[in-house]
Order: sequence, then C-alpha cells, then structure tokens
Amino acid sequence: MKKNSNRLWLAAATLVALPLALNAQPATSAPAPSSPVTGNAVAGKKLYYDYGCYACHGYNGETGARPFVGRWGHLATEQMFITFLRGRANVAPIVPSTAMPNFSAESLPDKKAKDIYAYIRTFKSTAPESQDSATLNAIVEAAKQDKR
Amino acid sequence: MAKSKNPSLGRRGFLKNAAAGAAGAAALATSTPLVEAQTRSSDGRGAASTAGAPAPTEKQLDREAGNIRPPVAVRTITRPGSDLMVQTIRDLGIEYAAANPGSSFEGLQESFINYGNPPNVMPEWITALHEESAVTMAHGYAKAEGKPMLAVLHGTIGIQHAAMSIYQAYYDRVPVLMIAGNDPDFIPAHTAHDMAGMVRSYTKWDAEPKTVDEALVAIQRAYNEAVTPPTAPTLVVLSSEIQKENVPNLRIPAYTPPQFPTIDATLAREIAKALVEAQNPRIAVGRLRTPEGVKRAVELAELLGACTSTTATVGPMSFPQRHPLCGPGADTAYDYTLGLETGGAQASITGPGLAKIARSRDTTNIDFGGILRASNFGPAGGPEKSAPPVEADAEASLPLLIEEVKRQLTAEQKARIQERSAKHARANHEAHVAAVEQAVQRAKAGWNGSPISTARVYAELWPLIMHEDWCFASPSGFSGSHNNQLWDHNRPYSYLGGQGAGGMGYGAPASVGAALAAKARNRIVVNIQTDGDLNYAPGVLWTAAHHKLPMLTVMHNNRAWHQEYMFVEYMAGVRGRGTDRADIGNTLRNPYIDYAKMAESYGMAGEGPITDPTKLSAALRRGVASAKRGEPYMVDVITQPR
Repeated sequence: MKKNSNRLWLAAATLVALPLALNAQPATSAPAPSSPVTGNAVAGKKLYYDYGCYACHGYNGETGARPFVGRWGHLATEQMFITFLRGRANVAPIVPSTAMPNFSAESLPDKKAKDIYAYIRTFKSTAPESQDSATLNAIVEAAKQDKR
Repeated sequence: MAKSKNPSLGRRGFLKNAAAGAAGAAALATSTPLVEAQTRSSDGRGAASTAGAPAPTEKQLDREAGNIRPPVAVRTITRPGSDLMVQTIRDLGIEYAAANPGSSFEGLQESFINYGNPPNVMPEWITALHEESAVTMAHGYAKAEGKPMLAVLHGTIGIQHAAMSIYQAYYDRVPVLMIAGNDPDFIPAHTAHDMAGMVRSYTKWDAEPKTVDEALVAIQRAYNEAVTPPTAPTLVVLSSEIQKENVPNLRIPAYTPPQFPTIDATLAREIAKALVEAQNPRIAVGRLRTPEGVKRAVELAELLGACTSTTATVGPMSFPQRHPLCGPGADTAYDYTLGLETGGAQASITGPGLAKIARSRDTTNIDFGGILRASNFGPAGGPEKSAPPVEADAEASLPLLIEEVKRQLTAEQKARIQERSAKHARANHEAHVAAVEQAVQRAKAGWNGSPISTARVYAELWPLIMHEDWCFASPSGFSGSHNNQLWDHNRPYSYLGGQGAGGMGYGAPASVGAALAAKARNRIVVNIQTDGDLNYAPGVLWTAAHHKLPMLTVMHNNRAWHQEYMFVEYMAGVRGRGTDRADIGNTLRNPYIDYAKMAESYGMAGEGPITDPTKLSAALRRGVASAKRGEPYMVDVITQPR
C-alpha cells in the first residue's frame, strides 16, 4: 500500500512539476542548424503528427513540455537526432513519465526519422520582436506601475 | 402536467394507492379523460389510431368517470417541516441551493421555491443538470467566498452521482453543505438504511435526524462542522416524512455559531514578542478560511513590515501576490518566520488536518494515499528552522496576535518598521517587474503560431481583465499556469486553484459556482476550460445561461488528454513498440467537437473555433464584455497541447 501511495505522490508531483518546468524554461534563440537534410519534409509533417511528437513539442516545436526551436541541442544534425531517438530509456518506469520515449529502429525506421527531421528543420521562431506586440508591452508596463 | 396547489393532496398516498400506471396518474392529475388521452396523437390533434396502446380496464374507466377514487390521505398542512428547514438554511446565510430534481426531496424543493416573501431568494434554487455539477458548483462557490452553499441530492442515485465531487471537495478541504432526501416507501432503489454511508469516507460529518426539530439542529450543526477546520463537506439526510410533516407550533432552535480553535494568550504574547523583536521577520501565508483572514494577515504584515510568501498562485484565500510586502524583500536573511496555515517555520499555526477526521470515518477502509496529511500546504520560503505546528486556526488566532503586536510595539520599533517596509517594497517591486519581463519573454515562444499557444491565451486575456474585479476559477496547470507571473492575484478569490483530487469534470461547474458568488458582487469569472474536462458534464453551461451568470469560458481546446497521451507515448517507447498508436483513447479526433455550437445549444453565446492568433484578442474582448453584462460567453480556441 505504501508503494502505491508513493506512486500516487510521484504522479501528482509530475502533474504539478510539468507546468512549472515549462514556465521555468528560459526563451533562447540559438540559430537553427545548417547541417544537411536528406528526408522528405512533407512526409515528415504527417509522421510528426502521427507519432505524437506534437504532444510534447507543440505543432511548431516552440511550445509544450519540451520546445526545441531556439534550443536545438540534439537536433543539430540528422545523425545526432537519430542517435538521440535510439538512446532513450527503454526500461519501464514505476510512475508515469512524460520524458522523451525511446524510438527503436523497428518502431521508427531511419527513413521515417529522417523525414521527421526534415520537417522539424522547417520550423522557425514565430516570436515577435518586443516592439511589435502591444499586448506584451502593455503587460510589462502595467507591472512597472508601482502600486504602493 | 398541471401542478396541484392543494396541500391536502397527499402525494404518497396517491402514488401508493393508484392502481394504474403512469397513464392513469397523468390522466388523474390533468383531468383529461383517459380514453381521450389514449386516442390523442403526439401533437395532440387527435390520432386516428390507438395501435400499441392497451385498452383501459373497467376499473380505470370507472375511476376516470369518478365512480371510484383512489383513497388519499387528507391532511391539512399549515406549516410543513420543510419550510422550517429552508428558514434554518436562510438564517445561516446560505445564498444558493443547487440540485438536480429528485422525488426524495420534493417537499423540501417545494418549500425552497414557494416559502418566504419573496420566495426563492436566499437561498435561490439553482438548477443543476447533474449532481456532480451541483456539488462542484458548491465547491467553486466556497473557494471564492470562504463559506458554503448548499447542494441537495436525491437519495442513493443522486448521492452516488455526486460522490466524485464530494471526494474532491473533501480532499481540497472545502466546506460544502449537503442535504439528501430519503423516501423509504416510494422507490426501493432510491432508499437506503444508511444513506450517508455511501460517502462517509469522505464527508466530515453526517446525520439522519428522525424528527423535524432534530433536523433543524442537524442542519445548523452540519453548517458549523463544514466551516470549522478542517473544513470539509457535511451531509444531512432528511426523510420525505419529516420534510412534509405538519409542525405548526415548532420553533427554530437558537443557533450557536461555531467555535474556532485559537492559540492561547500566552503563546500569542510569545509569538508577538518574537515578531516585534526580530530584525527581519517573515510571514509565510497558506490558505486561510475566509477573506477576513486575508485582511488580517495583511494587517499583521503591515504592522510588522514583514515580507511574506503567498500561495495565491496555488489557490484562494492567501496573501495578495503583488502587495508591496509580498516577495523575498530586500534581505532574505530572516531571523524569525511565522507560518499561517503553512509548516516549516519557527512558529506555525495550522488548523487540524483531514487526518483528524479521516481515521474515524474511513469506514470502508479505503486508503486515500495522501489524504492523511496534516495540511494541504508544504513549507513555504525555503529551508528554515522549524518547530512542530501549533494546531489552531490561523485566521481565528490573528486578532489575538495583532492586538499583542500593537501592544508591544514601541515608537522606535515602529520607525524602524516603516523604513524596513519601504526597502522591502522597493525590492519586491523590482523583483515583480523582472519576473513579469521574464514571463513575457517566455510567452513570445510560438506567439504567432497556429494552433494558438496557451501563453498567448493568458497574455491576450490579461489586459482585458486587469482593471476588472475578476476571479479565475478553473485550474491552470494543464494550460501552462501562465497566470502565475503574467497576472496579478491580489484578491482572496483571484485564483481558486486545482480540482482537489485531480478529478476531471471540475473546471466548468466550479466556475459556475464562483460565478454564482460573483453575480451579486459585480465581478466576472474566467474559466480557461480544458476540453477533456468539459465533456464530463457539459450541461452546466446551461445552468450558467439559465441563471445569467457573469462567466467567460475560454476553451483550451487541444483535442486530447495530453498528459495521458505523453504517458502512453513514453510507455510505448520503453516497450519498443512506437508511439504511432498512442493517440488511441487519448485524443478527441474524428470527429472534432465544436464547443461554440455546444455552448449555443445550451443557450450560451459563443464563437470559434479560433485558430488565427490575430483574431483571439477581439474575441476575448467580446467575451469579457458579455460576461460583464451577465451573459455567459464561450470562446473556443484551438490551442497547442500545452
């Protein structure tokens, strides 16, 4: 029973921590990679959706639990991306996890992975320049008003 | 069907003795001759065929002709017990009673809607389309106002529909007053020997009084038990007999308000001394019971120039987030910390936890995991020297502390406090601006993308409500919690927090409950509504429209339960089976649900689905304007998953 209780608590902690982690991520703007792309971005668009990549990374790679536009890291090259997919944990966790799944070659062949990579590489930041968003400027200006 | 106003017509006697079924009953009540009724078509113009309708029996025909009348128990009701029950509830200051109709409380319902001058006011009867919604409305109302409203439940079936929401309110330590009917002679499936037993594991107190005078006392006590820490739902089961009993000479017993456990005078002096003598005191504030407690906490902090921590971005009734003294302050080396409904401080005043009641009432031996915690809130403000919490109600203890602090403060200390307050205020303001700037920077990610980012939903909404009196009633965790830094949570009801036990079907009914509170207070309620959550009991949208509630619902329509989608994806990954089937059971596709049309069908104005982020602000503006007019509105936004 204690084990179950611990599981519940860890699951609850995950639920709480996820949005916090999301909010904690600083916005970065590392330039997009320029390495070669061999896959088919059109096919990759469907695969990105069908394999549920968008669930964690957003439809544009900019939002969600693990955005990557502007923080390309493991996505610098096609091969790094495939290595990253294959190297994820493959032991079932005790508690539910929202970590990046493992993608074996059997479940996601290299060809499909390259197509997804090609699609990902089409993503660009849609973040506005500060002066271009009246809404965001209004929020900052309101915060600056000293309410004492 | 015409409703009889004749109090001498005993419904139970009628039902018990009527030999015929529904057709006969309908015929009797409407005086429409049975033969004629059976030959009418559905449009009432007179049918040519009676195919399928059984021929009336001779006995039925005799009855319709007035030759035989079912015996009725004739009794003159001058003052039904249920009138006194309603008066008792009214005297407790209960504003609303939410219910889905049920025959076991017909006597009570009749009193609610007809007794008093004017009738159906304080409390007003609120039509719920599901008992789970009725109790969750009461849950949301209590979190907004710090006091209970009433949910009325049908015997057995209504209680079990409500069970999930009772559990959530219990886990959330929220006071909800409930009454259930019990009609032991009518429909066996709707009666029980121990009606409250079905939910006793997660109610604080229950009673099934046998007489009207016992019932009145039980209602008063149920209220007191609900609002006394640990606050929680309570239930009174009222039989239909005592609801309908004639009690012309009975008086409502004198009401004794609840007693809240406070710290004693000695401890108050000790804590006050430590606070006054500290060079840099801090007050950690968790969830207090009522807005009055929040007011007192502010008064204490201002008297002392103590900076505070708050749980205002976690739930209601905590310290104002943007108060000049809320934040880490100019110096984070605190030499004394007082916790109010939080642990982890040198002196912590925390009310008794659910453990106090759970052990004795968990009769079905269900292990509710963390429900036995002493408090819903953990330590605030980082590692500190801590002492065991003093088990007392922080809110009720605050007046004692304030008086002691006032008594002990010297003129010299007051001058030092003024200076300290100003330093803290400057530091907290700078920290606030920096935090908002960072939040705005983060909100830019995906700003112009489609589907629309959840951050943009919050950011576009904030300038539209920042100058209004608003209450954000739905949980924000699944939509990114962007309110935490982008918005200011300065009122006791600014953000009502999570579901309690993580159960779905909460956002909309809790918001309707908060909107009931808001209606008479010139306040609007914001409900950022996850799509999966709404589909549990969407009928509550009709309740909002029917009662003209000032509520804006913004759909966080990501067309899935994405938390679970991610869980299953990870599981498929570790098993090497790929994630391409993880959508099964986790997504709301094929077909998509049109929430604007859903709202429209329930009588609520709405628009969407909106996929173009440039069209969002104008839609939200229309929604806020509508809510301010007392007309609930829905904006369906197709959003990023998180």
